Amino acid sequence: MRKFSKQLSCLLAILLFVASLAGCGSSSSSGKEKIEVFSTKNAENTEILQSMATEFEKTHKNVNVEIVSPSDAGTVLKTRLTKGNLPDVLAMGGDATFMELQKAGTLEDLSKKSYVNSVQPAYKKMVTSISKGSGLYGVPYATNASGVLYNKTLFKKAGVKVPQTWDQFIAAMQKLKKAGIQPLELTFKDSWTTLPIWNGLAGSLQSKDFTTQRLKNKTTFAKTHQEIAQKYLQILNYAQPDFMGTTYNDGNKAFALGKAAMLLNGNYVIPELKKTNKKIDVDMFPLPASNDAAQNRITSGVDVLLAVSKSSANKEAAEQFISFMMKKSNAQKYVDDQFAFSAIKGVEQQDASVSGIRNNIADGHVVNFPDHYYPAGFDLASLLSNLSLNAENGMTTNKNVTQFLKKADTSYNTANVQN
Amino acid sequence: MELTKKSTHLKLGKAKHQVNWTVTAILVVLAICFILAPIYMTVVIALKDPSDMVNVLSWPKHIRWENFAEAWKMTDFPLKFRNTLFITVVNVIFTIITNSLAAYAITRNRKRSKLFNLLYYYFISAMFIPFNVLMLPLVKQASAFHMDNVLGITVLYIIFGLPMNTFLYSGFIKGIPTALEEAAIIDGANSWQVFFKVIFPIMKPMHATVAILSFMWTWNDFLMPLVLLSDPNQQTLQLAQYVFQGQFSTQYNLAFASYLLVLLPILIIYVFFQKWIISGVTSGAVK
Amino acid sequence: MKITGKKINPAFYLMTIPIAILFFIFHTLPFLKGVFYSFTDWQGYGNWNFVGLKNYLYVFTDPDVTGSYIFTFKFAIAATILVNVLSLLLAMGLNSKIKFQNTLKSIYFLPYMLGTLIIGFVFNFIFANLVPQFGKTFGISALSTNILGTDHAWIGILIVTIWQSLAFNTLIYLAGLQTVDHEIYEAAEMDGVGTIKKFFKITFPLIAPFFTINMVLSVKGFLMAFDQIMAMTGGGPGNLTTTISVLIYKRGFQGGQFAVQSANAVVLFLVVVIISIIQLRVLEKREEKLN
Repeated sequence: MRKFSKQLSCLLAILLFVASLAGCGSSSSSGKEKIEVFSTKNAENTEILQSMATEFEKTHKNVNVEIVSPSDAGTVLKTRLTKGNLPDVLAMGGDATFMELQKAGTLEDLSKKSYVNSVQPAYKKMVTSISKGSGLYGVPYATNASGVLYNKTLFKKAGVKVPQTWDQFIAAMQKLKKAGIQPLELTFKDSWTTLPIWNGLAGSLQSKDFTTQRLKNKTTFAKTHQEIAQKYLQILNYAQPDFMGTTYNDGNKAFALGKAAMLLNGNYVIPELKKTNKKIDVDMFPLPASNDAAQNRITSGVDVLLAVSKSSANKEAAEQFISFMMKKSNAQKYVDDQFAFSAIKGVEQQDASVSGIRNNIADGHVVNFPDHYYPAGFDLASLLSNLSLNAENGMTTNKNVTQFLKKADTSYNTANVQN
Repeated sequence: MELTKKSTHLKLGKAKHQVNWTVTAILVVLAICFILAPIYMTVVIALKDPSDMVNVLSWPKHIRWENFAEAWKMTDFPLKFRNTLFITVVNVIFTIITNSLAAYAITRNRKRSKLFNLLYYYFISAMFIPFNVLMLPLVKQASAFHMDNVLGITVLYIIFGLPMNTFLYSGFIKGIPTALEEAAIIDGANSWQVFFKVIFPIMKPMHATVAILSFMWTWNDFLMPLVLLSDPNQQTLQLAQYVFQGQFSTQYNLAFASYLLVLLPILIIYVFFQKWIISGVTSGAVK
Repeated sequence: MKITGKKINPAFYLMTIPIAILFFIFHTLPFLKGVFYSFTDWQGYGNWNFVGLKNYLYVFTDPDVTGSYIFTFKFAIAATILVNVLSLLLAMGLNSKIKFQNTLKSIYFLPYMLGTLIIGFVFNFIFANLVPQFGKTFGISALSTNILGTDHAWIGILIVTIWQSLAFNTLIYLAGLQTVDHEIYEAAEMDGVGTIKKFFKITFPLIAPFFTINMVLSVKGFLMAFDQIMAMTGGGPGNLTTTISVLIYKRGFQGGQFAVQSANAVVLFLVVVIISIIQLRVLEKREEKLN
């Protein structure tokens, strides 16, 4: 034991020395104003945000911008809401989490700022429609489009044309299958990837007033969403064998390498695809949920809005950064890098990878993500994941759908307790 | 009769000393397949080029050290390492001093003071409260006290270790005869001197156990940093791995290089101190 | 001022009271607050009202919560049994006359040193990429899908948990086995007692206290399982692998659920207390028997 105590005290002395160095190192603040920009987009837009931050710091020498984008950002953000310690700038979706932050009164009203004038009114409305009060608490920055991403080369090889209706969509998948091509790559190990499919179907198929009626408890999923759930299950038949165990990243990689013809997700996947395979010939079309082609709309919503936390110590710097991001040239850079669409007037997306849906967006032939209107605690992704798993295990469609819709209603009701 | 028994005993004793090769072989094979193989895999993937991933388990065609450099930069390893080291070391030192002091005062006075007896049961019963139970209010409270940083979480670790360590130290102190202390008092030492000059050195084996258990706990803890440390400059190594998991995407080589960077310090410590660690952990549990 | 006298030296108060106060503020107070919140509808911010036992009723009727309790118990029981059986076997192997005893002991203890989160990530890769690749190459359909995306996802998590927990439990059993005198075995062998009988009649009773230690520590640890699940499934597919800890974390910080999950945490606390008391009773009884 003697020897040990000697060793231990020796080790402790070394560690203490290193730690004291560490202490000094980490406390070297330079008196700069620091702003934290929190992105909920995980890895997708970190690089472009980082490059903008670097650019911004060049002209604002006294500001230090830090880009943060953790995994499971939604939960992290809610933890920080509970702590009352929100990041200075939020770059997040116009979704239920935003709704919760806004309702809690944690965000600044930005409606009077000059940069708001350049935002397209339709997108402003998307944000105000889910906000409490009349202000604009998040400035729409980029918008996304969710539907079908397809590999043009594989479509050509199998002689498949872009489907306009549900029947054509199913026929196209059968044709691909016959040609020995995997029609769909699904990535349900990351359960959120079930949502784009649901949104695509529900966006076009659910009645217009469903969201408001459901909120008031005047209608149910069970009464109205039978067809949507059934079509959702029908789609699963064309997925690759291990779709429940495939992660988002692995699935994107497989699609980028031409192992499947379609991916049911949004334009934000494209940068990831290009990272794996620069030459991939990809385009998008709206998920043809209905047999009435005119009804099929692309799902598009506010993918990134910019908000400032009320508790921020450096509001001025935070707003300067937002204003910098809102510049036309920067907004263009952002959408070019992200293959996204801009909420800012006169900034257009010209890339061929999204040419199939550009007109839909320009014409406003879009529908917002239905799940952006669901209450924050309603965990639809895990319900959909469960629905898919049951189907995989051979449960009959009827039983599965009934069970799922019932569960969706109870979960919705319990989540809908907020006043 | 007596004699024959003795002789067979001797014979059996001899047989006992022969190496049991079957069991050895089984244990070696199991250790290679189940313990070493995953570690080997981690090392190999961390060293490989992405193009070399067709046969994952093969030895890399050429070793790509850049994986480590990239992971190092991407996760801001030096900063996260410093944070983790600070938390761990400060926690270990202060835990040993403060917790042994408290345990000493409690153990020596339990018999004659209701207050100390109460404190003993107070701390021991707190062992039943899992962290998850107080997590939600603690998160709010810690941020109100501005303790959602490296320093704050260190203080929390020191405090939260108290129940377990009181239990460990108290069991040890009970076995130390009071005669030593009384002799020191006669020599004119006050209570503090008695503790630091007489008791503290005697408790060395228990200090070792407490040090090892606290070290392991704070180095590998994930939940408490997850809910408390939101500022990226304050994050620990474990938390950083979770945060960056998504950003590694399918760059598995980078991801594994990053895992290995986190595992290495502890592997190195283990290689040098394994004997002490094993005996420390054992006496912590069995005491 | 004698150590055994009636009067207590004030220094002793200084040694304990400050840290006891800190402990109260940062450990007991949050706990009490949590109990308090569980009777309100507080969202973590804003106004609140008392709602009585509503949150507790909700906890017991919400299928997500009951589902996570069932899963957590299933997982904890399976893990406890498997870990203890396997680690006892391993300890007996390591305790027999073998070569490289110390090296093997260190290797088997290694997993204890490594963080659960990273082990989870490593095994995540093994289950998602390595095993399916292997399954496909050799045409074994059961192995060609990622187990974490199936009904059996919990088995994947169980494997990782066992892999890591074996180390500690084995060490404790080994410590127990080393206290057993070899002569007892030798005497038994002379009496012609078989291996299995020898284990149940001699070995097991002698290492019973070590068995209890392992049971107490493992059950509590497994009931709190968090890191490996966050690393591997995030609670999915569906809610199949959501333990109570994961549920409290994922839902607790959502506005509508802060109070509900506080109630859930209180229930979890009661469960842990009850299990611990039962275990301690059993331990006491056994010790009485032995004496």
